[in-house]
Amino acid sequence: MRILVAVDQHSYSAHVVKDVAKLAGNTWADVTLVGVGAKVANIDSPSNKSGKKHPLIKTLQIYRRSFLKHFEKEESPYEKRACKYEFIEVKRGIWEELYVCRGARKDLKIVARSGNPIKEILAQSQEDDSDLIALGCYKEGDCQWEGIINFPQKVANNATCSVLVVKEEKQIRKIVCCLDQENISQKSIEMINQMVTLYQTELEIVGLTDGTTLKPMVEKNLDAILKYYNARQIKAWIKLVDTASLESFISQEARRSMMALWMGGQSIFTKIFPRGKVDKLIQGSKSSVLLLR
Amino acid sequence: MLRTLVYLDADLASSIALRYICQLAQFVDIKLHSVHVEEPDQDGHAPGTGWVRRTWESTVLKTGEFEIAQLIKAEKSSCPKLGAPKMLIGDRENEILREIQKESYDLFVEGSLHSFTAKKLYDKIHSRLYRLIPCPVIIVKNLVNIEKVALIVRNEIESKKFISMFLKIFKGAKLKLDLVSCEFQEPGQLSFNAKKEINGTLSAAEEILVENKWPPENCLTIQGAPEEIADVLRDYGLVVSPLHHTISKKSNWFQLLNHIPSPILICWQ
Repeated sequence: MRILVAVDQHSYSAHVVKDVAKLAGNTWADVTLVGVGAKVANIDSPSNKSGKKHPLIKTLQIYRRSFLKHFEKEESPYEKRACKYEFIEVKRGIWEELYVCRGARKDLKIVARSGNPIKEILAQSQEDDSDLIALGCYKEGDCQWEGIINFPQKVANNATCSVLVVKEEKQIRKIVCCLDQENISQKSIEMINQMVTLYQTELEIVGLTDGTTLKPMVEKNLDAILKYYNARQIKAWIKLVDTASLESFISQEARRSMMALWMGGQSIFTKIFPRGKVDKLIQGSKSSVLLLR
Repeated sequence: MLRTLVYLDADLASSIALRYICQLAQFVDIKLHSVHVEEPDQDGHAPGTGWVRRTWESTVLKTGEFEIAQLIKAEKSSCPKLGAPKMLIGDRENEILREIQKESYDLFVEGSLHSFTAKKLYDKIHSRLYRLIPCPVIIVKNLVNIEKVALIVRNEIESKKFISMFLKIFKGAKLKLDLVSCEFQEPGQLSFNAKKEINGTLSAAEEILVENKWPPENCLTIQGAPEEIADVLRDYGLVVSPLHHTISKKSNWFQLLNHIPSPILICWQ
């Protein structure tokens, strides 16, 4: 798993770095922290006469320290490789001095890019082949990033991978999970599993009905998901929602729960919940939003 | 021994109800019976008479029997008390009602998945089966662990009858019990108060339970909107509520029952 954390210099980014560190601790993911500045050029060159670091670089270094702080130094999969000669038992009773490098089992990359933040973040996620882009946002009001209106919404709508928009300082009590009803991927179920573990919360799985009943295939899938989570000691609830009431359900639940929506190409939610509504959800939600792809 | 009838279809709701009642059987001395009704067709008429009809009925039942057998087989290891289901043919509500009246069951259990819209529960409560059913009903909306039960009380007169019904079913069960009184308010003002109440209903209910050697662990008054109170009650493995058949869809009490995601035990008033 590779996670891309898009950061700027606001407090919500510090918050998302902490959350991703916890997530990475559970998943042992490769992580990229990326910051985008309008004028990131010659940041460490001698021509920088002031001798001061570029503010974005300074921020990224603070976030790197904050991320690594989450791990015990010896246990950390991101700890740098230390190489030295060690005697290793190669056969029973025979030791040989070998040059051994230990540490850094997982990759932590810190990247500063210049240009249009949306394009650069999406480009970095393509280059890294990221599974998840995580970015922060204020709890209330619009999610402005460096003056760019609806920044997280634009990233969420244009990314090809899953996107997690973490609202600052909001305790998550429940994750409401709208998985695709007929084609649920193992990857999305596991991603939800990780979120539940990360936030130590309950899970509510939504089953879409055509008014009264569930399609047999959907019912079969819900049963399988329920058994999957129950086997992992995750408290999972099921709630039936009529397709016609989905929008009001989501806007009501988004006030108090983290919303997770499956927005893959074939997903029914992509049809019911187009871009404009996703924008509204991310903007209006007081809790974090996860768009699964 | 509590004679309990659980209704089974080959669906998720029934599977959850079955797992739940098997769990309940670990706490309560239950004699578990199950029933499935095969509905002939949409207009409810069986074809022909005599041999034709009997052959048709047996074919219809065999189809249903296989599906229900699969469901029971899946749960049998965790629920040894479960026997073969009674297979009936006809109108679902009429057949269940007839069965309950004939066999004088003490409790009826069925699965009905928790729904965002109120219509499903409202139609169920106002169905012919529920209007005429002579025993309390557990509607299993979700599969939860039964560790703690909440008794929601409304007023002193009602609570006497309702608690005695509850005790008849659960007496001797080793379950933790909380008494809850609800005061409905506008959303955004959720609050809890230990024993704070205006009319003394909680105290009266507590007294009955103490007399029956089952003192509640907590007596709570929860103030808030129905959906907020329901959210608090999700921590309970069973919510026990009195209910009148005449309840209106817009009433706070009905809204509360609809929003509760846990199984609910309805004691008819």
